Amino acid sequence: MTEDFALKVEGLVTNFYTYEGVVLALAGVDLFLRRGDTMGIVGETGCGKSVTARSILRLVEPPGRIEQGSITFFDRDRETNEIAPIEILDLEEAEMMDIRGNKIAIVFQDPATFPNPVFRIGTQIAEVIMLHQDLGRAALEVKIEELEVNLDKTEGDRRNKIEEKIEHYKSQLDTPPEPDDNDKKAAAWKLAIDMLKLVKMPAPEQVISQYPHELSGGMRQRALIAMALSCNPAILICDEATTALDVTVQAQVLNLLNELKSEIGTSIMIITHDLGVVAETCNWVNVMYAGNTVETAATEEIFETPMHPYTMGLLVAVPKLHETKERLDQIRGSVPNLITPPTGCRFHPRCDFVTEICKNDRPRLRELKPGHWVACHNPQGGS
Amino acid sequence: MKLRDFILRRIVLAIPVVFGVVTITWFLAYIVGDPVSMYITERTPDAAIPGIIESHGFNEPLPVQFFLYITNLLQGDWGTSTSTATDAPVLDIIAQRFPATIELALLSMIIAIILGIPLGIISATKKDKPVDHITRIFALAGVSMPIFWFGLMLKYILFFQFKAWGLPYLPSSNRYNIQLYDHVATTGFILIDSLLVGDIRLFFDALRHMAMPAFCLGYLVLAIITRMMRSSMLEVLKEDYITLAKSKGLTQRIVVYRHALRNALIPTVTVIGLAFGGLMTGAVLTETIFNWPGLGRWAVRSILQSDLAGINGFTLLVALIVVTSNLVVDLIYGTLDPRIRFG
Repeated sequence: MTEDFALKVEGLVTNFYTYEGVVLALAGVDLFLRRGDTMGIVGETGCGKSVTARSILRLVEPPGRIEQGSITFFDRDRETNEIAPIEILDLEEAEMMDIRGNKIAIVFQDPATFPNPVFRIGTQIAEVIMLHQDLGRAALEVKIEELEVNLDKTEGDRRNKIEEKIEHYKSQLDTPPEPDDNDKKAAAWKLAIDMLKLVKMPAPEQVISQYPHELSGGMRQRALIAMALSCNPAILICDEATTALDVTVQAQVLNLLNELKSEIGTSIMIITHDLGVVAETCNWVNVMYAGNTVETAATEEIFETPMHPYTMGLLVAVPKLHETKERLDQIRGSVPNLITPPTGCRFHPRCDFVTEICKNDRPRLRELKPGHWVACHNPQGGS
Repeated sequence: MKLRDFILRRIVLAIPVVFGVVTITWFLAYIVGDPVSMYITERTPDAAIPGIIESHGFNEPLPVQFFLYITNLLQGDWGTSTSTATDAPVLDIIAQRFPATIELALLSMIIAIILGIPLGIISATKKDKPVDHITRIFALAGVSMPIFWFGLMLKYILFFQFKAWGLPYLPSSNRYNIQLYDHVATTGFILIDSLLVGDIRLFFDALRHMAMPAFCLGYLVLAIITRMMRSSMLEVLKEDYITLAKSKGLTQRIVVYRHALRNALIPTVTVIGLAFGGLMTGAVLTETIFNWPGLGRWAVRSILQSDLAGINGFTLLVALIVVTSNLVVDLIYGTLDPRIRFG
């Protein structure tokens, strides 16, 4: 393994134990995210995209449970560049808390319901910062800045005192003392404003002390992204982060994500059912169907030579501007009930290329071409 | 500024409510009992009766009498209560007895809130665990038991039986031990008065006397708060913003007590406000059972003896308290939930 991965998920199985029966939501999801990549996870509603995202952060709520598989997070030390693989499913809850929001952050789907309605935007961003970051230096910087503002206003003897103080604080910058709570808050607040500026929030100084209901959907989504980015996570998961937005705002947010990626070096995982979003922003695609990874390859490869019948169907189903059609193309049948999923390959009842083996044996993900993995018994060599 | 406007508007809006309550009570009270009977005993000569009727204005048409009552009310004269040993102005009686009632009501409210909110939270966070089951049974018992029955049972066990068994028992009547202590009312609240004069023993004696009636009165509210807190907490814990809070890496404690609690308190506060009005009704029963020298007992006697001024005065006071507590609830609401902040 010479490639530089940020995250590797193998054979992930997550079940939900409901009254109707056990929902086999994820039945062996495999995916990998290279460092610095933007990977798209596509699939129909209910195919397990969001459950995968939540499983990675171990945020699956009861009655859901992660049953087996491995999720390896390759933690790169920012200074030494040493990479330490961390098995997420083996971590203690306390260690997991150190990863959530800090190393792996998530932006959720619905900007209307995810921000806490009773707290100011700033409080919600500063909270993450205070939790995960060492604010010693930032707190000192805030203090120095304040003093410098005062310095301009005062004259005479007191000027010297303030200058002395500034010097004193500056000498501490490299080995900052543990700041007290108020200093921490001030520093986190200031960093929160910086985060809002980073996500191009208009008027960040005002927005920071506003409540979520006072903002528009797009602004709230930006605030959520700011929250997720505030600790420079190694991996950012966007769970349908743009689905609830207007197309214009969506484009802005996606551009923003791409810019941010180069700015803070985050690997991004975009979960969506919008192939347009994938084509525009991702360089790697992971296609999921009914709790399985069915195909994964570079974006161009997938769009040009899809090999799995499902991916092909998915691409054909996208309406094209230059074609006139009576009926839009679709994949026949519908998403299976995951309490009683089809045997063998879960796609076989809807597949045009189904053979006997598909009904009994579940295909594994195989690398059929260099850099192109498909889980299918009858891959369609790429048309 | 905006807050002041809000309060002013609410006060103006409360006027029709209070007026409605006074009107309905006044006419109802008139239908139910004959006020003249208060002034007549077996020994009153028949010939004197028309004079009594006339001197109290009972011969006037009803609307005129009602108009006179309202006019007097607006001038600060709530009428004369005839159900006490010596006839006394209603306002004087209220001034004298109100502290005992409100002290009891406040203490039971404090007990209910201090116990109810944490119990509700624990019950919700430990859903379907033994703690939850016990709490739910405890709360169910509270909403199911009538106050008068519960009060009698408390008194029977904690006073009569404990005394009979030679165990330390709780006193069953009065606000403090009249034989041992002197109480000079300054604020009227014994717990505060005793601390003001530095009489710690009176303070604890009063607390001991208050324990049973306060718990009896507060248990229902405690149960209501617990149930409400549990259900709203469970509701809130399913919300998306809780998932977001968890995804930030916050501990379960902070997620529950910072992110969920404030949202879950919003419906609970409404219930607390409504329950405070209910406490005044409960006080009538509790004070009767525990021989508490408060407004409740006076109200019961007023009703039994067709003391119109007493009935109307008590109802008006309760109406004012309910309106005020609703206003306070709305103010607390605003601080909890920025979406309904005024202005």
